[in-house]
Amino acid sequence: MDIIEGVIGFIALLMVFRIFLTRSRARKLLYLCCLSFCISALIALYVKSPMGGIVAIIYFISSTLTSNAIAYTIEQVKDIE
Amino acid sequence: MEILDIIKLIIAGIICWINFVLIDTYFGLPEKPGVLGAKTIGEKIKEIGGNLNGGYFMGNIVCSPDASAGTLLASIMNYLMGVKGGLIAALLVWIGNRLCADPGYAGTIGALTITLIIYLLHPIIGAKYFVGGMILAIFSIQGFEHKYASILLGKIAKKMNRGE
Repeated sequence: MDIIEGVIGFIALLMVFRIFLTRSRARKLLYLCCLSFCISALIALYVKSPMGGIVAIIYFISSTLTSNAIAYTIEQVKDIE
Repeated sequence: MEILDIIKLIIAGIICWINFVLIDTYFGLPEKPGVLGAKTIGEKIKEIGGNLNGGYFMGNIVCSPDASAGTLLASIMNYLMGVKGGLIAALLVWIGNRLCADPGYAGTIGALTITLIIYLLHPIIGAKYFVGGMILAIFSIQGFEHKYASILLGKIAKKMNRGE
């Protein structure tokens, strides 16, 4: 295994642990953002073809859209409460 | 050989960090939350003792593909396809920005500048190191310690007259 892939994989695992350990829902989103950066980079490094790059971009942009929707919902729930 | 790899990775990380923090700050990410969700994250960061403007910056990164995403995706496409890949990445990041109701200048310009930097530096540092370096850069902001990261980002914003 290459050193770059090792470093990225280690950071991804660390983020998974921190997502479980953090209580605050808003701060979980920050760790989740870092995790999707890692996954997107790993997709591109393992699938070494232009299509792998397109998949990484689509994965990353749709994960940001999801985070956007979740953060919006957290704000709305706060208003209702 | 291993040591050389690590040094290249760290240098690429520093270049990526400077690239996306400066461009995002210049386009006013710390000034105001672009979407409602970024406001929640900014206020949460303030609650744990961080800086509100730094919190907005981090919230905006989560909620829309900004220069950070532009830097990562352009380095990926540069690694796989060369310079024309970087241009494709800039186009796709722009589309993503429009989906998130963002003007989309920061993401597109971040992707174009990192394409230029990789093109200039590719005899010394390959595009692959920039992919790893961007992960280190985003880890230092979103994953390591939110309080101190937001204070640092707030200071940079103040210095560039973006935020109180």
